[in-house]
Amino acid sequence: MTRRRAAFGVFRHVVLSAWTLIVLFPVAWMVLTSFKDAGDWVSWPTRWFPFLDFEPTLLNYRQIFYIGGTTASGELRREASEQAYAIWKGVVDSGVIVTIASLASLVLGAALAYAISRFRTGGRNYPYTILTVRMLPPIVIAIPMLIYYTSLPEFFRAVFNVRVAFFDTYHGLILLYIVTTLPYVIWMMLAFIDAVPRELEHAARLMGATRLTTLRVVVFPLVASGMAVTLLFVFILNWSEFLLALTLTQPNVLTLPVLLNKFQSAVEGRLYGPQAAIGTVVTLPVVVFGLLIQKHLVKGFSFGMIRR
Amino acid sequence: MAGLRLVNLTRRFGTVEAVRGVSLDIADGEFVVFVGPSGSGKTTTLNLIAGLERPTSGEVYIGDERVTDWEARDRNLGMVFQSLALFPHMTVFDNIAFPLRIKRVPAAEIGERVRAVAATVHVERLLGTRPATLSGGEAQRVALARTIIVHPAVFLMDEPLSGLDAKLRVEMRTELKRLHASLGATFVYVTHDQAEAMTMADRIVVMRDGVIQQVGTPLAIYIDPVNRFVAGFFGVPAMNFVDGELARDGATLTFRAPALRVPVAAPASAGTPAAVLGVRPEHVRLADTAGGWPATVSLTETLGDETLVFLDYGGPASLVAKVDAEDKIAVGDRRVFTIRTDKLVFFDGVTGQRIRFLLAEGAHT
Repeated sequence: MTRRRAAFGVFRHVVLSAWTLIVLFPVAWMVLTSFKDAGDWVSWPTRWFPFLDFEPTLLNYRQIFYIGGTTASGELRREASEQAYAIWKGVVDSGVIVTIASLASLVLGAALAYAISRFRTGGRNYPYTILTVRMLPPIVIAIPMLIYYTSLPEFFRAVFNVRVAFFDTYHGLILLYIVTTLPYVIWMMLAFIDAVPRELEHAARLMGATRLTTLRVVVFPLVASGMAVTLLFVFILNWSEFLLALTLTQPNVLTLPVLLNKFQSAVEGRLYGPQAAIGTVVTLPVVVFGLLIQKHLVKGFSFGMIRR
Repeated sequence: MAGLRLVNLTRRFGTVEAVRGVSLDIADGEFVVFVGPSGSGKTTTLNLIAGLERPTSGEVYIGDERVTDWEARDRNLGMVFQSLALFPHMTVFDNIAFPLRIKRVPAAEIGERVRAVAATVHVERLLGTRPATLSGGEAQRVALARTIIVHPAVFLMDEPLSGLDAKLRVEMRTELKRLHASLGATFVYVTHDQAEAMTMADRIVVMRDGVIQQVGTPLAIYIDPVNRFVAGFFGVPAMNFVDGELARDGATLTFRAPALRVPVAAPASAGTPAAVLGVRPEHVRLADTAGGWPATVSLTETLGDETLVFLDYGGPASLVAKVDAEDKIAVGDRRVFTIRTDKLVFFDGVTGQRIRFLLAEGAHT
């Protein structure tokens, strides 16, 4: 009995370890490549082990974190793989856009979810209607959005006599990210808020609390874990969004996924090193964020977590 | 301190009328228990008093104040919920302090009052813990403490004891009565448990399908039910019902059922001939002599002090008698039973309403 259980335990660990290897392989490859010099990127046989197979280098990171003049200011190198590619612009743009859009989406979505949960706002089918927004592949709306964004200023000028731009602006992308992630936030928060017993709110109201106070001291603290999970989810979505950013920005706004796609050179082909370095850098905030809210993740992913 | 007045309260949910025309005066300091099966509208009535629901029509008065349109938080009520509704993310102290914090009472006073009220319900030891770690009885006390601390004029309780085990429930019943006596506040208590209603209430309000069936003291409701529903709802074991009809038998009126005939006096009101006889098990007696109905004992249930005896007398269902446990009765025994005719009640066979008779002298005893 116990022996069989032990054997099963070993088997389970073997399977899970194999799966972990499969999942982590691309990540490991990316991180390894980011420390390789141009010659080692695609060498065969593969050089697996730093210091043994290849000499790790920070060249790629120095290139992408280069501070000072860019290629234009006399730093031109002979080879594309030696040029400086400052990603600061991308880091800042992505950071600003994604943070604002995710937080706004969370606040709006949580409020909407509360309204839907408690007042059946919009009727019984409203949540499903909201979800249909996500049934469209982004590629379908990318070009219409481009036309829409470029023609909106005409409308504003004609009707309100104000100059507003949407194409290639921070707020243009932020608005779009809020709209595209709102359905996710509403649906996730709806599950969390539905799990908060109404009697808790009734009790608070009878004890003299206003609706807003009740939300602040009873409802939101109880769904804090859910909000953390939702924020992480939406943050990842926005952080990695490529298609809409590619279509709707150029050249003023530059997000990291778009930037990541630019590392090609006519002479040397794809620049895997800097690309891998950026990939590693881009992944880090998400990982760090995830670790920070780890406590909440465990609670939040077990939907309906409130003990009565 | 304040009494309550409900005037023709009606609450409709879509096409369903959860509460229909409920009118009731509750005196200051009274302990009133709303009792009824689930879906009878008792909780909705409580929510209407609390202000958690708005009536479709009708009025609610607390004291002399018309509060129908007031927010729940302005009504100065304390409420204990079925789930107790303790805030799981706060300590017991913070839970009890919650209403004071909302009212912006100074921190020093909060500490003092929380400790004082915690002492009265014996939860001082638990102030630092979270609700999730409390036992059922402890959680109950904390919920009470949180309600008591602001000295509300009226306490509303929605089946607060339903989550407790049987023994604790009986203990808490006594404690709630004591609490009521010491606070002198008005208590409105909702339950589906007739035993809770009987033991605690000054007055019981029996509800069914959103309508008040009867209002009265526990004893009045037990002895003098207005209809078959109320009669059957109270008492363990339930009242015996025998379907039959009223027929004129020469000069006297007789209740006739299979294998059972009971002469009765003329009814106060004439109804349909179909009628139901009701007799409580304690009013069915076993006799050794002739002059009763013969029956066979088909089942016995021992309660300890008393024994329930199921009597097959030839009717469609057994008649249950509650007899002294000293009587040695075995299944299969042939016994003769009598009924205390002065305790009989009759109901209209169609409407279930009580038919009031003057019982004939010299009835079959």
